[in-house]
Amino acid sequence: MIELKEIIKEYQVNGIDTVMALRGINLYVRSGELVVLKGASGSGKSTILSLIAALSKPTSGEVIVNGDRISKLPDNFASDFRRHSIGFVFQKYNLIPTLSVKENIILPLVPMNLETRDIEDKLSRVLKMFHIEHKENQLVKNLSGGEQQRVAIARANINNPQIILADEPTANLDEKLSLHFIDILKELKAEGKTIVVATHDPLFFGLNIVDREIEIYQGSIV
Amino acid sequence: MRNKINLYVIEYAINSLLRQKYKTFFVTFILSILVFLLSSLFFITNSIKYELKSTVDSLPEITVQKIKAGRHYDIDISVLDEILQITGVESAVARVWGYYYFENAGVNFSIVGLDEYEEQYKNSFVEAVKGLDFSKPSMVVGEGVKKIMDKNYYREYFNFIKPDGTLKRVDIGGLFKGETELESNDVIVMSKESVREIFDMEESKATDIVVRVANFNEVAKVASKIKLLYPDSRVITKDDLKISYQNIFDYKSGLFLALFVVSLFTFFIIVYDKASGLSSEQKREIGILKAIGWRVNDVLREKFYEGFIVSFFSYMMGIILALAFVYILKAPLLQNIFTGYSQLKTSFNLPFVLDVQTLALIFFLSVPIYIAATIIPSWRSATLEADEVIR
Repeated sequence: MIELKEIIKEYQVNGIDTVMALRGINLYVRSGELVVLKGASGSGKSTILSLIAALSKPTSGEVIVNGDRISKLPDNFASDFRRHSIGFVFQKYNLIPTLSVKENIILPLVPMNLETRDIEDKLSRVLKMFHIEHKENQLVKNLSGGEQQRVAIARANINNPQIILADEPTANLDEKLSLHFIDILKELKAEGKTIVVATHDPLFFGLNIVDREIEIYQGSIV
Repeated sequence: MRNKINLYVIEYAINSLLRQKYKTFFVTFILSILVFLLSSLFFITNSIKYELKSTVDSLPEITVQKIKAGRHYDIDISVLDEILQITGVESAVARVWGYYYFENAGVNFSIVGLDEYEEQYKNSFVEAVKGLDFSKPSMVVGEGVKKIMDKNYYREYFNFIKPDGTLKRVDIGGLFKGETELESNDVIVMSKESVREIFDMEESKATDIVVRVANFNEVAKVASKIKLLYPDSRVITKDDLKISYQNIFDYKSGLFLALFVVSLFTFFIIVYDKASGLSSEQKREIGILKAIGWRVNDVLREKFYEGFIVSFFSYMMGIILALAFVYILKAPLLQNIFTGYSQLKTSFNLPFVLDVQTLALIFFLSVPIYIAATIIPSWRSATLEADEVIR
């Protein structure tokens, strides 16, 4: 369950000007739901995802995930929360291009100091799930956009988190790869994961797997 | 239960360094050079200080020289008897010695004359006397002298050119082992008779007189009595010599200090450059790590390993190179600054002096500072909101 209460988020620009990205957002996402946040660029969709992932803190208001007030979490607890509960697929994937597919995917596990066997098990699960076993040792910078996205999704799922957040996931993909991504979403939803997608790609609108579409306009829910 | 050292983070740190291999190599290279320079300076300084201390310690309490018009002249041996009458004087020995310039090699040898039945004023001379054959002109020579003579095909004897142009053949009887290498390296020991012949010195004269005083606290008093007896003499105490050596050392160490300051300055420029910020790529990487669940301390631990690997490797490289440079290659160029007279003196080996304090000092001047310079900017980025860094 994800709940945003009266969220206001302001950014400082150049250290002087203040831009209000979110203006009193209230949002409730049930467990297992797939919600699409739609709206133009700069409307505040990505900011909402950032707040849910505890990547930033709201200026005011509360973000509650599975009963925890994550907007109040100290930095290290926020990191733990992301590690265990959130799988974030970034718009530009945010992979480390000079690392291999395998190294990128297991990156969230590195600080956990797990047994090698545990890591291998988790890795092989996501490699199979997202059909990238054959690319395991390739450098990410040598992959196509679609392949890079699958690596990003695999990394987001390595810890089998309950919540998947995807920010403009099809912005850099052609239609065929975008449809493939939607297939992946179907699989994740079938596993019971809570999914929030921020997009302005019409391909997502009216999809039968989407439970709700929420339009964001200039920092408010329309 | 996993052990506490997270090998995956270390592996990540190593990979991270390898991903920027040119930069890593460059920084490691520069750091190694700086540690090498600093270590070389410290090693040479320590070795020479040790040599000087040993040399000064072995000196007699008082040396008396005859001075005329500000210059050093040979002294009458008759003075010896009067000095021995002074209360507090334990012994007095007339020394016969001088410098012999060997033109072929462009070096000076220090020739010291000894008498077979005389009390020796240095322990090393007691052994030297045993190696001398007083029945014929023979000598024992320092290691440096031996090498030069060998190089010039004087393996069994040497022909000294006397002031009148005639030759004096002296057989090489063996190697002279002094208390320090600095002392013994350029020394030739032979009978006083042979030295007098080579330097054309009268039998009633000596180069100077060395005096031993039984009670160390009376040295100054005895010295002033000698000065009163012989106003035309220069009376040098061990303390004067210590100061004089220290002055020469301090003057020359100024050059070392300059090198030391330049090395440190360069190091701090690197540190400042590193500490003043990260590239956008590095910031982004930290943001990604935070976004996927790394804690601030995970990021800092990884950066610590990066800094430690580079700085400790450089430290070890620098130390090993400096040890090889100073004690195997004999510190070419740098050693000459200190030993001086480089054109005239025979080369000598620096004694191996390696104390933990020096190693610790160099360690603390390099490793922790570099690690801090690696961690601080990373800490600044890691404590920002991850969203702010990766946007």
